[in-house]
Order: sequence, then structure tokens, then C-alpha cells
Amino acid sequence: MTWTCDLIEARLSDYLEGLLQGRERAEFEAHAKSCPDCAPLVASVRSLVGEMHSMEELETPPRLVYSILDKTLGPRETMTGWQGFLNVIRGLATPKFAYGAASVMATLIIVLGASGFSLRKPKLADLRPAAIYQSADRGVHLVRARCVKYVSDLRVVYEIQSRLRQDENNLQTTPEQMLPKSSPEKVPGQTDDRKPSQPRQQNRANEITRELEMLAAELPMLSERSVR
Amino acid sequence: MRRHTRRIYNICYRFTGNRTEAEDLSQDVFLRVYRTLGSYRSAHGGFATWATSVTRNLLIDHYRRTKRDRITDSLDDKMPVVENKESAGRRPDEQALLGELSAQVQSALTRLSPELREAVILRDLQQLEYAEIQTVLAVPEGTVKSRINRGRIELARILQHMGVRPA
Repeated sequence: MTWTCDLIEARLSDYLEGLLQGRERAEFEAHAKSCPDCAPLVASVRSLVGEMHSMEELETPPRLVYSILDKTLGPRETMTGWQGFLNVIRGLATPKFAYGAASVMATLIIVLGASGFSLRKPKLADLRPAAIYQSADRGVHLVRARCVKYVSDLRVVYEIQSRLRQDENNLQTTPEQMLPKSSPEKVPGQTDDRKPSQPRQQNRANEITRELEMLAAELPMLSERSVR
Repeated sequence: MRRHTRRIYNICYRFTGNRTEAEDLSQDVFLRVYRTLGSYRSAHGGFATWATSVTRNLLIDHYRRTKRDRITDSLDDKMPVVENKESAGRRPDEQALLGELSAQVQSALTRLSPELREAVILRDLQQLEYAEIQTVLAVPEGTVKSRINRGRIELARILQHMGVRPA
């Protein structure tokens, strides 16, 4: 392509903005450097564009924003003193603010309670980092101990119950042998010591079962009292 | 709102070269935006693009209305405003030189025809993309590029005529 001065002028912005590539760009530069009319034009426009890009934005006059607001929203009253303060309070009385404030208070109370800070008898010493750490550490160990105790108590109760069931099964499997005989051989005044009567043993086993169940039920309560 | 106010005020000032007119026109822009907000559609581009379009339309209307009165404008109002952002890092003599140069560029801008002036302001002073300028001016992209190119060359010739040497 043969570059003329008119073509250089027409494509000048494309060149300055890097839109000309490769051979096209090289030919443009070759003409622009050698032409006595185009060389100063390219230099001056390049300088001008650089200058305009570095020109800073003006700050808006302060009164402009207020006058725009007055013209669009209308004149506004400014409240001073108590009225302004009450206006701020009224602005805070919204459900969104109330929910936020309530959740922040609840979080604070929970955190203070977990850190060992007593709300009834507050002490500044409770807010020391070491005191908070110790309280949290104690709380964690206490909870862990209770969990371990609960699990072990459950295990004991389970073992007792499984043994009781086992005993019941054993007793039920041989009912004929265990039944008391109304033997004609029985002499009044004499007891049959060779085979003790099963119903008495069965009653005794039932009593033991009930006692053991009661004991198992009370074990967690006893262990909780001992930890405290 | 302050971000939009800043952009609109700068476009108005760069176009008119007059602080008082720029303030008045900025207020008129926001008043029109406020009244015609119902007609804004996202198909017209973002809100900033739409507001810039309203600004441009008002500036052209103002230019046509005040064409005859322009000769009698007060010289005081035409005194250029010195930019004050990021000036702390420059030496006073550098700042003075830059201030003078930008004042001369501003003066030369007001001598361009409105079509070329608005194209150069939107591209080189507001750094808008071609697509956005195309939406604001409601002309094809080829026309946008052509106006920007002719505006830059014309501006350089005006400055050369004013005796301003390129940096």
C-alpha cells in the first residue's frame, strides 16, 4: 500500500492507539518520518493526546451536590440539638437494627458465660486472657468427663441387662426339673432339701432383677453428683 | 451520586469552558435524569452511559441556544480552573507549566466544532470506550473514530496556531 499524506492523516488515530500492525505500521512510520508535513503532525498529535490523558478531573464544587439535591428532592430541613438526636434514635428503631442488636447481645452473653465471667458478680479479673483460657479449658474437660462417664454407665447397664436376660433364659429352658413335686413321699414337717422349690428361687431372681434395674437407673445420677 | 456528578460536571466544563455554565448545566442534567428516570432502559447501556447521553444532548441544545450570545461571554468566567488532584507530588514550576498547558488545551477545545469537541472530550478526557461513545452519540463506530481523529488533528493545529509547542 502506498501511504499518502491524506492516508496518514486519516489513519493517525489508529496508529497512535496501536491498531496498525506489522507491515502496515512499518510503512506508516517510514512515511511519517520522511515526510516534512506528516512528521510534525504525528509528533504534535501524539503529544496532545498524551497531555489530554494526563489532564486531571476537576473536583465538583461543594455546593453543586446540595443544589442538585434541592432541585430534585426539594429543600430539606436540618435538625439540630435534641431533635437531631431523637431523629437518629428514631432511625435506629427498625426491626433490622433490633435483630442485629439482639443477636450481638446474645453472642456476648454466651461468650461471657463460656469464659467464666459471672454476670451477677462481675469481676474485672475474669476478663484476663489467662482466666478466660483456664475457664474454657476447665469447661472442655468437664464436658469430656461427663461424656465418658455417661458412656461407661451405659455400658454397665447394658452388661447387667444382658446378664439378667441370660439368666432368665437359663431358668426358662428347664422348667420341668425346677417344678416342685407334690410328692406323696413328703412327710409332714420335713422339707425337701435335695431339690429346692423353683418358685421361691424364681421370685428371688425377679427381686434381684428389679433391684439391679433400679440400681442401673440411679447410676448416672450418682456419678453426676460425685463429679459436682 | 458524587461519582456521576463528577463525570457530568467535567464533561460540561470541558465542553463549555465556563464554570458557572458547567454548574447550571449539571443541575439541569440531574433534573432531567430525575424526571425521566422512568424512561431509562438497560438496553440503552448502563446508567452512567445514559446519564452521559442526557448530558451530551443538553450541551448540544445549550450550544445551539447560546450560539449568538457566545461572543459577549465574560472573560472572567473563561479563566481556566486548575486541576488539584495528585498535584502534591509535582514541583511548583512543573505544576505551573502543566496547569498552563492544560489551560491552553481547554481554550483550544472550545474553538473546535461541537461534533469534534464532544468526541475528543469523551475519548481523551473521559477515557470512554468506542462502544460507549457510539451509544452516547448515537452514531456508527466508524463515525466516532473519524470524529475523534479529525478532532485531535484540528486541536493540534489550533494549539500550533496559538504558539503552543508540543512537550
